Amino acid sequence: MILLSSLAIPLLGAGLMLGFANAKIATRLALLIGAAEIASLGAIVWQVHIRGVLQEGRYLRADGLSAFFLLSIAFVFGLVLVYSSGYLRHMGEGRFTSARWFYSLVFLFLFTMITVCLSANLGLMWIMMEGTTLASALLVGFYNTEGAVEAGWKYLMVCTVGIAFALFGTIVLYLAAVKDGVKSADALDWLSLMTAAPRMAGDGHLLKLAFVFVIVGYGTKIGFVPMHSWLPDAHTEAPTPISALLSGVLLNCAMYALMRYDAIISHAIGSGFPHALLLIFGVMSMVVAGLLILVQRNLKRLMAYSSVEHMGIIAIGLGVGGPLGLWGALLHTFNHSVAKSLLFFSAGNVRHNLGTLRMDGISGMSRTLPQTSAALVVGSLAIVGLPPFGLFISEFAILSEAFTQARYLVVTLFLITLSVVFGGFAHHLFKLLCGQPVRQPERSRLIPSEYTVMGIAAFCLLLFGARVPYVFRVLLQDAMAVLR
Amino acid sequence: MKLVINLLQALMLILGAPLVRGVISRVKARLQRRRGASIWRPYSDLFKLLRKEDLVPPTSSVVFRIAPALLLGATACVAAFVPVVWPIGLLASRGDLFLLVYFLAFGRFFLSLGAFDGGSAFGGMGASREALVSSLAETPFLLALTAIAILASHADISGMIGWTLQQSFFNISTVHILAFTSLAMVVLAETGRMPIDNPTTHLELTMIHEAMVLEYSGPSLALIEAASAVKLHAMLALLIGLFMPWGMASSYSGGELGLAFIFYAAKVAGLIFVLALIESGVAKLRMYLVPDFLGVASALSALAVIFTMLVKR
Amino acid sequence: MGLVAIATSKILSSFSVFLFLSILLLAVARRISTNVLLFGVQSAVITAEVFATGFQEKLAEIYVVAAMVFVIKVMLIPRAFFVLTKKLKTVHDVKASTTPTQSVFIVAFLIYLSYAAVQSYGQEVRVPEDGLAAAVALILTGAFLMVSRRKALMQMLGLLVMENGIFLAALLTTFGMPLVIEIGIFFDILVGLLLMGIFTFRIRDTFDHLDVSKLRRLRG
Repeated sequence: MILLSSLAIPLLGAGLMLGFANAKIATRLALLIGAAEIASLGAIVWQVHIRGVLQEGRYLRADGLSAFFLLSIAFVFGLVLVYSSGYLRHMGEGRFTSARWFYSLVFLFLFTMITVCLSANLGLMWIMMEGTTLASALLVGFYNTEGAVEAGWKYLMVCTVGIAFALFGTIVLYLAAVKDGVKSADALDWLSLMTAAPRMAGDGHLLKLAFVFVIVGYGTKIGFVPMHSWLPDAHTEAPTPISALLSGVLLNCAMYALMRYDAIISHAIGSGFPHALLLIFGVMSMVVAGLLILVQRNLKRLMAYSSVEHMGIIAIGLGVGGPLGLWGALLHTFNHSVAKSLLFFSAGNVRHNLGTLRMDGISGMSRTLPQTSAALVVGSLAIVGLPPFGLFISEFAILSEAFTQARYLVVTLFLITLSVVFGGFAHHLFKLLCGQPVRQPERSRLIPSEYTVMGIAAFCLLLFGARVPYVFRVLLQDAMAVLR
Repeated sequence: MKLVINLLQALMLILGAPLVRGVISRVKARLQRRRGASIWRPYSDLFKLLRKEDLVPPTSSVVFRIAPALLLGATACVAAFVPVVWPIGLLASRGDLFLLVYFLAFGRFFLSLGAFDGGSAFGGMGASREALVSSLAETPFLLALTAIAILASHADISGMIGWTLQQSFFNISTVHILAFTSLAMVVLAETGRMPIDNPTTHLELTMIHEAMVLEYSGPSLALIEAASAVKLHAMLALLIGLFMPWGMASSYSGGELGLAFIFYAAKVAGLIFVLALIESGVAKLRMYLVPDFLGVASALSALAVIFTMLVKR
Repeated sequence: MGLVAIATSKILSSFSVFLFLSILLLAVARRISTNVLLFGVQSAVITAEVFATGFQEKLAEIYVVAAMVFVIKVMLIPRAFFVLTKKLKTVHDVKASTTPTQSVFIVAFLIYLSYAAVQSYGQEVRVPEDGLAAAVALILTGAFLMVSRRKALMQMLGLLVMENGIFLAALLTTFGMPLVIEIGIFFDILVGLLLMGIFTFRIRDTFDHLDVSKLRRLRG
């Protein structure tokens, strides 16, 4: 019941929101529904921790891995929801550009993403993954400007094609399973596939083919280079809360799906091939995105490429495997979401107070927008992986595992990219913060909804940098146990 | 006996050609809601032309005078290769599919020379256009025939038809469909029908074949008209023989031959109807689009040849 | 029912030929309406194949899937495309970036590639080689159409051809996945098309044209 209710709340909420035209009432209702959903997700996490695996019907299942990702989703979604309640004051009142459409689509988007994490069936997971593209396309194109429409169309097209490839990979996996004796009704169920995986070792060719298509397909949604072309555009042109949701939640969901497939294939034919592919895509994404960060001119686009880079780091973590590698990768998904949300929130504030996101049009921000600048600095220091922030811990874990496994090329590229990214961010930030202010902002202080979430995010990053809380460590252990 | 039947086949193709032309015009007219001329009209046209005087431009040479005869001779030889009711043609021999293509080219070559020799501007224009179309059409023609030849393991037309006769109609193979589409497009190009060339146009700038024969008159024109009619009939018979030959006689009995003739007449009628439909329904392609049309035919025929290697049928 | 059995076996042995012909014609078609018609014909061929498979395997689920394919892909989607074309008042030309000759040669090469790919995997699965090659060729041709046609509507059509190919591959190798999943996939495709339709209107309203190659503001 509890799994179904966590799905029903956002779905019904999405429909309910459409009935409230008044922006203020809509916002309050949205906050209420959001709070209910977060409570429900928290309840699921708690139940999973106590009872192990929760299963409802044939298609919904929550285990340690789902619980971890659900917690991450709940946290980031809470931050985003509170932020948007204040952000929407900037939005005009168009026919489809009103608060109720925004919240309705956001809840629909949330519904699809939670279903991805709760799917027991790979087919359902695919359907909902495609659903996330569909639900968020209208959100990306929300502002209906030229850039937004182009970004939305590109997003829709590239991701649908990518997901089609993932479907092909899923079909090949289904085929291999049925061939090796799994009943056709169970051949898409993740748990059945995991138990049957050793039997499928003979179909190495088919499984490798399936994984190639799956990593290309879901990798499009994650943002691996070279399938990342939709990502910078979509994250730049979307409204800021949506950018935070895309970077912080959607990319993680796609990574979750990839982890499920990786587990099956690794159990069947050993982790050599899948992890090699993950490493290749991870290193490519990290290096290419890191280099492109140097030449960015738009603040949000800079952050979008940073997301690509961090997804590459997570893939490297999965690829090196081992206890620390997996631990680091999972922790990094959470840390990155929080840091990226903080960065996007500051960017949103910059946009609305200074009117532009082009970095060559802004300078002297430390004087005109002191609080936003502070948030931006904290977020940037966190995102490049400096201590005492949380990302340092997860990146260090991945690096040390890579060292232990003597993957010196990966380590070298990793460290070089980190330095390059640090240099890039420092360069961009200096230009933004120092110098003479070019224009005066509307207001230079943050409103409560904004500084609360930014403060929570910064605090969380510092906390995780000092010591990963006990709750999280337990959850991480549960998640890793699932993938073994 | 074999000789008599083969001779009769060739004569059927040659003498029945104007009838085919007449039926096409009649069907087109009916499709366009006109009454149309009688189907025997091309015969009376030919007789009329034979009685008229042959005017020759003063600047022309002997080429102009002998071109029509050479054209008709070459086309008649082509008609002798193609079987109608009996799977073997009059001049059937090994490798005659190349002879077929190049006899047609031979006739066309001399017609173009004659057109140049006539000295009019339209003659030169028509000849150069015809050179473009025929050079592009040669590749798909040869490749399509080669594809069928590879499948049939015979290099002569009679052998190919014999092989097709043994196949069942329902085993449609990719090679056959591709080769048929490609050959159909080539037939349209070679015989100067729509959408390559409009045989009934009176605007000189849109002509290809008609422009070449503008200077001819009297018996020479009769020979040329007859040759183009025979070419059309022979190519239709080739299409039927290569792809739909069932019903051809397998023995010398008069009954079987008569039945085969009826089947052939039905198939030709069907093809004529389709041709008339295409001619009435499609607009003529502009000249610079003709290479695209024939390029598609080339690609299809090349694919047919490649498929003979992939498809073991 | 001997006639039905004969028809079924003939359909199963020859449907790939018609699919190859449809993608070759898709390569050269120059008007949007012709392309949509060819897509409809292609989907009809696939429907026939699905029915034939259902008859041969005697599985009721496959009949349902065949009916869905027919209703959605042969009737609904082409009609929706025609309505969309009319409402968008767009020019009929497909705005291909390759000439018809080049397109046909490319598609011919893709067909050859798909046969080559199927040769290596064909022994693993007991599937008719032609059918699987046709499915892979559909996928490759769909991708080619999306890349080489510059109109937004044609990109949607390329996506649909790709989905046709994937669906056919799934059907040939596994005789269909569980029915619920198939229904979910169809639903996804429909909603996806709906959204793409909405977006084409927005593109037309914001940019005044539907040429996606001109959507290049965001770069770098």
